Amino acid sequence: MTATLIESEDRREYRTTRRRDLAVDLSMTLATILAALAIGFLVMLATGKDPIAAYEALLTGPMERSFRVGRWLEDATTLTLLGLSVAIPFRARQISLGAESQVYAGALAAAVVAILLPLPPVVAVIVPLVAAAAAGAGMGFVPGAMKARLGANEIVATLMLNAIVVRVYDYLVNGPLRQTGSSAVHSERIHPDSALTPLTDWFGIPLGRSNIGLGLMLLTAVALWLLITRTPLGYRIRMTGSNPDFAEYGGIRVPRAIEWSFVIGGAVAGLAGAHLVLGVYGRLEPGMAGSLAFEGIVVALLARNNPLVVVVAGLFYSYLRAGGDIMEQQTDVGTEIVVVIQAVIVLLVTAQALPDLLKRRLARKQVGAR
Amino acid sequence: MSSVLDVVLSSAFLAAVLRVATPYLLAALGGLVAERAGISNIALEGQMLAAACTGALVAGYSHSVALGALSGITVAMLLGLLLAALRLELGADAIIAGIGLNLLASGATAYAVYTLLDDKGGTTGLRSGTLPTVTLPGIESIPVLGDVLSGQNMITWLAFLAAPFVAWLFFRTRFGFHLRAVGEMPDAAASVGIAARRVQYAGLALSGALAGLAGVFLSMGYVSFFVRDMTAGRGFIALAAVFLGGLRPWGVFLAALGFGAAEALAVQLGTLDVPPQLVSTIPYAMTLVALALYAWRRKRRGAGEVAAVSL
Repeated sequence: MTATLIESEDRREYRTTRRRDLAVDLSMTLATILAALAIGFLVMLATGKDPIAAYEALLTGPMERSFRVGRWLEDATTLTLLGLSVAIPFRARQISLGAESQVYAGALAAAVVAILLPLPPVVAVIVPLVAAAAAGAGMGFVPGAMKARLGANEIVATLMLNAIVVRVYDYLVNGPLRQTGSSAVHSERIHPDSALTPLTDWFGIPLGRSNIGLGLMLLTAVALWLLITRTPLGYRIRMTGSNPDFAEYGGIRVPRAIEWSFVIGGAVAGLAGAHLVLGVYGRLEPGMAGSLAFEGIVVALLARNNPLVVVVAGLFYSYLRAGGDIMEQQTDVGTEIVVVIQAVIVLLVTAQALPDLLKRRLARKQVGAR
Repeated sequence: MSSVLDVVLSSAFLAAVLRVATPYLLAALGGLVAERAGISNIALEGQMLAAACTGALVAGYSHSVALGALSGITVAMLLGLLLAALRLELGADAIIAGIGLNLLASGATAYAVYTLLDDKGGTTGLRSGTLPTVTLPGIESIPVLGDVLSGQNMITWLAFLAAPFVAWLFFRTRFGFHLRAVGEMPDAAASVGIAARRVQYAGLALSGALAGLAGVFLSMGYVSFFVRDMTAGRGFIALAAVFLGGLRPWGVFLAALGFGAAEALAVQLGTLDVPPQLVSTIPYAMTLVALALYAWRRKRRGAGEVAAVSL
C-alpha cells in the first residue's frame, strides 16, 4: 500500500518535471526565433533597409494567395522529410551529413522506375516510392556500416559520399538520362500514373505543385515518432545516443543501433527525393534538391530531433523560405537575410547552456518553495 | 594513356597542382590545429568564404590589396574565436555550431554583396586586385623546378611553409605541447596548470587565420573577385584531409596535396574524352576507400593491443 503511494508520488514528480522541461523547451524555441528575427531586424536597419516592410512581406506574403500556400506546403514536405532523415541518426548521436547523397539517390531511383517501368495505377506510385526509400537506405548504410563496423568518422564519410553522388547525378542528368531533343537539361517526364496527386485536385483551389506527399510526410513523422518512443529499436537508438557505454553495458548492440539509425534516416531522405520527382518536378532537374539537405539539418536541430516537432519546425522554416522570396520581389531586401536569420537560430539553439541554466534555476526554485 | 602521362609529367601540370592545392593545404592545416586543440572546426568552409568575401570587398573599396587580405584573415580568425566561445562558454556542440557558422557565412556574404553592389553573383563589378606573386632570384634557371615554382602566388609559398610551421609549433614549442595536451584531455591539462581555455582560444584563432588565408587566396590569388559560395565545399574536403592525414602535420600536408593533385588532374583530363563529372569523383572515392582502410587498420591494431593486454 505505502509502496504504491510512494511510487505514484514519484511518478507525479517525474511528470511535473517533464512538463516543466517541455514548457521551457517550447518557450526557449519561441524566444530563439524571436531573438533571431530581432537580429535580422537590426541587420536590415543597419544596412539602410526598411525592416518593417520587409518583415510584412516575409511574414504575411506566403498566405496572401492560395498558390503561394501551395508553394510553401510543397517546400515544407521535402524539407521536413529531410529534417526527419537526419533527426534519427542525430538521436543516436551520429553526425550524419549525408542527406544530400541520399536525396539524390532516392530521386534517381524513383525517376528511373517511374520513367522506364510501365506499371498499373496505384502500384505505379508505390513502387517508385519503395525504390527511392531503398536507394536512400543503401546510401545511408555505407557510412553507417563504416562507422559501426570500422569506427570510420561518419562526418567525413557522409561528406565524401555527398560529393560523389552529386557529381554522378549531374553526369546522369546531363548524359544518359537527359531527354533527347530538348534544349534545357532535364530527364524525360515520369509516367502520369506515377505522379503524386496534386492537392489542387482535392481542394479545388490552385495550390501549385503541392501534393499528397504532404500526407505521406505527416504519416512518416508519426511513424518515426512511434519508432523512437515506443519500440525496442527506438529505445536502443536513444540509449546509444545518450550514453553508448551504458547502452553497451546494458546489452544493447550499439553498432547495430548506429547502423539502423543511418539506414532509416537514409530511407526517409530517399522519400524526400521521390517527392521531388513524383510530386514537384515530374522529372529529374539538375541540382533539384538545392540547399534543402543542409537546411534539413537545421530543421532537425531546431526541433531537438523530436520527429513531431520536426514537422512544426519544417513548416515554420519553409514559411520563412517562401516569405524570403516574396520579400525580395516586393522590397529591396535580399532573400539571403533569411539565411542569416536561420544561422542565428542554429547558433542560439546549439548554445545548450542557456536552457539548461534556466531549467536548473526553475528546479531550484521549486525545491526552495517546498 | 601516354597523353595522360604527358599531362601529368609536364611542368605546367605540376605548377597547377601547387596552385590548386594551396587552399586545401592552408584550410586543412587550420582544421588540424583546431582538431588537436580538441574542438572540431567544421566551420572551415564558412571561414574561408567570409575571408574571401571580406578580402575582395575591402580591397575593392580601399584600393589596398594588403588591407583587404588582412581584413579577410581577421574576419576568419574572429569566426574561429566565436566557435571557441560557443563551445567553451555556452556548451554548444562544436559540429552543430560549425554548421551554424557556415550557414551564417553563406547568408551574410551573399547579403552583403547584394546589398553593396546590387549583384546576386559576386563582386566582379568591383576592381579589387590580386596579391603579388613571388619569384626567387635565380630560381628560373633551374630546369623544370624553375618553371613549376616561378610566378606562384605568395600565398602558395605561405601554404607550403605552413606545414613545417605547424609541425614546429606542435612538437617544438611549449604552446604546441600545451595545445596537444589540452586537446587530448582538457581536465588533466588544466590540473597541471595549463590555461586550457586560453590555449583553445588561441588554437581556434590560428585555425581561423589559416582558413582565412585560404579564403583570401580564392578571391585575391588568381582571380580578383568574390563569387557567391565560391569555396564550393573546399572546407569540407580540407576537413576530410585532416582525418585522412591521421591528425599529423605532414600526413595532413600529403593528404591535402593529394586532393589538389587529383583536382588538377580532373581538370586536365576534362580535355580528354571522359565525362568531367565522373573524373572529379575520383578524389572523393579515393578518400572514402582510404578512410575505410585507415579505420580498418586502426581497428585491427586496436584489437591486437587488447589481445596482447589480455594475455
